[in-house]
Amino acid sequence: MTLALEVRNLVKKFGGLTATNDLSFDLAKGESLGLIGPNGAGKTTVFSQIMGELRQTSGTIKLYGEEISKLTTAERIAKGVSRTYQVPRPFAELSVRENIRVGLMPDSLRAMIFGAPDRSREAELAQSIGFAPKDLDKTASELAMGDLRKLEFARTLATGAKLLLLDEVFAGLTSGEIGMIAELIQDLRQRGFTFLMVSHDLPAMEPLVDRAIAIERGTMLANGSFADVLGDKSVRASYLGES
Amino acid sequence: MRTLDLRPHHLVLWAAFIALMLLMPLMVGNGTLRTMIFACYLAMFAISWDILSGRTGYLSFGHPFLIGIGAYTTGILTRRYGIPVEASIPIAVLVTMAGGLIILLPALRIKGSYFALVTLAVMELMLQLVPVIRPDLTGGTRGISRLPALTRGAENGYYLAAGLMLAVALFAWLLMRTRLGTALWAIGMNEESVRGSGLSTTRLKSFAFLVSAGIAGLAGAFYAHYLGSITPRSFFDINILFQIIVAVLIGGAGTIIGPIIGAFFMVFLLEWLRPYMPGTERFFVYGSIALVLYMYQPKGIMAIVDTIVSKMKGSRA
Amino acid sequence: MMQIIVQGLLLSGLYALIAMGFMLIFSIGRTLNLAYGAYIMVGGYIYFWLSQQLGMPKIVGFAGAVMVGALMGFLKHRLIVKPLKGDAVAVEISTLILAIIMQSVMVLVFGDASKILLPIIPGVVTVAGAQVTFNILAATVMSWIIIAALYAFVRGTHIGRAMQAVSMDEKGAAISGVDPDKINMITWAISGALGAAGGVFFASYTQLSPQMWVAPVIISIAIVIVGGIGSIIGTLIVAHIIGFLEVSIVALWAPELRGVFTMLLIIGVLVMRPQGLFGREEH
Ligand SMILES: Nc1ncnc2c1ncn2[C@@H]1O[C@H](COP(=O)(O)OP(=O)(O)OP(=O)(O)O)[C@@H](O)[C@H]1O
Ligand SMILES: [Mg+2]
Repeated sequence: MTLALEVRNLVKKFGGLTATNDLSFDLAKGESLGLIGPNGAGKTTVFSQIMGELRQTSGTIKLYGEEISKLTTAERIAKGVSRTYQVPRPFAELSVRENIRVGLMPDSLRAMIFGAPDRSREAELAQSIGFAPKDLDKTASELAMGDLRKLEFARTLATGAKLLLLDEVFAGLTSGEIGMIAELIQDLRQRGFTFLMVSHDLPAMEPLVDRAIAIERGTMLANGSFADVLGDKSVRASYLGES
Repeated sequence: MRTLDLRPHHLVLWAAFIALMLLMPLMVGNGTLRTMIFACYLAMFAISWDILSGRTGYLSFGHPFLIGIGAYTTGILTRRYGIPVEASIPIAVLVTMAGGLIILLPALRIKGSYFALVTLAVMELMLQLVPVIRPDLTGGTRGISRLPALTRGAENGYYLAAGLMLAVALFAWLLMRTRLGTALWAIGMNEESVRGSGLSTTRLKSFAFLVSAGIAGLAGAFYAHYLGSITPRSFFDINILFQIIVAVLIGGAGTIIGPIIGAFFMVFLLEWLRPYMPGTERFFVYGSIALVLYMYQPKGIMAIVDTIVSKMKGSRA
Repeated sequence: MMQIIVQGLLLSGLYALIAMGFMLIFSIGRTLNLAYGAYIMVGGYIYFWLSQQLGMPKIVGFAGAVMVGALMGFLKHRLIVKPLKGDAVAVEISTLILAIIMQSVMVLVFGDASKILLPIIPGVVTVAGAQVTFNILAATVMSWIIIAALYAFVRGTHIGRAMQAVSMDEKGAAISGVDPDKINMITWAISGALGAAGGVFFASYTQLSPQMWVAPVIISIAIVIVGGIGSIIGTLIVAHIIGFLEVSIVALWAPELRGVFTMLLIIGVLVMRPQGLFGREEH
């Protein structure tokens, strides 16, 4: 079994605060892993380190067997990993179509200048996530929260990465929208995509993951099946006890 | 041309615009033409500024520095070394791109406000440095005079300036219609997301910077020959920067026609005010109009026109 | 040598004063307030007008400059910064436009030519073998008094601490009962007053001209950033580095290269260490 992601002894310190504390975990190709933990546990910080948006203090990150800690974010994405942001970050004055177009662009100036945008692929991606054809020309700033999350997901998918890090994709969505995104994730899992996902909506997440890990203050509390992790005493104390 | 998504009305509008510019000498007198020559150069500076700052949001307060390198390079080459303008102007463009790259490229890695500050410091540095380093070449504070003229008379000067401006505008317009233009614009809205979409923003910004510097150097070199003399104060000056930025903002950043409209509007506003206010009052009025317009509509005249047009369409429907 | 040390201390004190006012604004909202240069310029001119053209006592001239500075700061917050709602690019651009407008107002009222300010206090004293005018000595002493007072104010008073709280976290401050809007307004006014006061001394050190604001504004912005945003000690240290650098270059090398090395230092540090020499990394 090839590993999509191998995180070893990852540590991230912000001054005196240790946001990631000696964290190690694996993710097999095609697997889907849930990452849970209370607010401020350090989930987003893990994502940022995998993407190279934050540099780890120590530890290694391997993507498909290759150490990526020295690569830029763009290079990591080219190797097949991409993320969504907890707070969507759309290009506010671009249309839905153009937002997706940025995700589809190859990282080459020549191709960007002389190549034509793939309009049908843009439309297809937008549709797969639940945008109606008339939404394509809407400006991102006109969209409601649910649509912004969908747009974020679509742009992440557009990068072509097969390992997707999803940060709170369900927050602020209606149950109908959650169902739609869940269906899309299931479909992508069938097609061999690998997921690492963070969500506070545990019932929505449960059917979408093979396994889960729980962290608190950057430290691993439990690692196992979703039910086992939720049943873990320390997890119940820190996480479920809290909410 | 699927890359550019060109439509028939684009062609019509461009043809009308080019025709209007080229027929201008038949309609106006020489005095007005001279004003328009300055407006054309200012428009080129403004387009150059907009490609970098209007799109990516990295404010360059150092554009006079780039324009100045172009002007000084061709000035020194023609006057001190007797090199013909056919060679000196292309060299000036390359030197501007290279000089800008070496000095300002490292700054593109740092965040917005700091980039603005570094570019401002570079301009101030040049203002102080140019007069004292090799005054035998730069002419010190007195600068360089009697640069070879490229044209004679207002009409020819106008054709040259307007032709250049049209070429620059068309080039920039085409370039900004590609996916590259979209990506640069996206950087201005959210740079992290562009990076998170797998694009090297440093490379994109550097490219925008190079194009911007190339246009600034080209326009600066031609402008120097038009003026016939250059001094440090007339190029590395905050007032030049002010005129460029105001032209872009008043017209509408992130468009090509916007900076052109802004440049013409501001240059002619200054001219119209001249009979009533011969002195510096004009700059006060000019600055105030700029500030009020900017506070009222930061997207400029283009956005105001858009609103009016869509209102008229709305009321007809 | 003594000459360099004495002159260096004097100039550095002046730079520190100018930088303080800018720091106040920059630490709330990271606003690159280019119109800060306008306070410096207007302060110098108001002093010149009241004390030299109208012949009023110097202290009235100084008080007038400070009051006009404070008023400008207040108005700018009300009319420009607040309506733009913290859009940094828009604030930077509109403050640049405003600075140019103020420059043209000064040309309009006082003319284009440079003006020499009479010494605030005439006379010369010899300090450790170095000739020092009373004027510049007074400027430096006043600078230090103002800096010390500001420090005491920020650390010791309720409003000062609220200003610090707002500079760190506007929302948090709002929750703990501080009205960030009011504090911002006060901060802008104090910043304007400091800039104008610095302008009076700066003009008496160099001279008064409508273009005089560009270099000091770059220097004060740079001192604040290079010193590490919000660090008063860092600001003081960097003010001294730049002050001594300039004085040494004037004395030992070539007076006309004075500003060149300051700009090179600023550019170098910003590009290589954007968090400043004494600041912590910001995320
Ligand atoms: N750039 C930063 N600088 C300093 N501290 C940071 C930074 N980013 C995050 N932190 C701190 O690191 C800790 C982990 O934050 P992180 O955002 O990763 O948590 P999270 O698990 O994603 O929380 P949430 O569920 O609220 O999204 C928090 O205490 C946070 O304050
Ligand atoms: Mg998070």
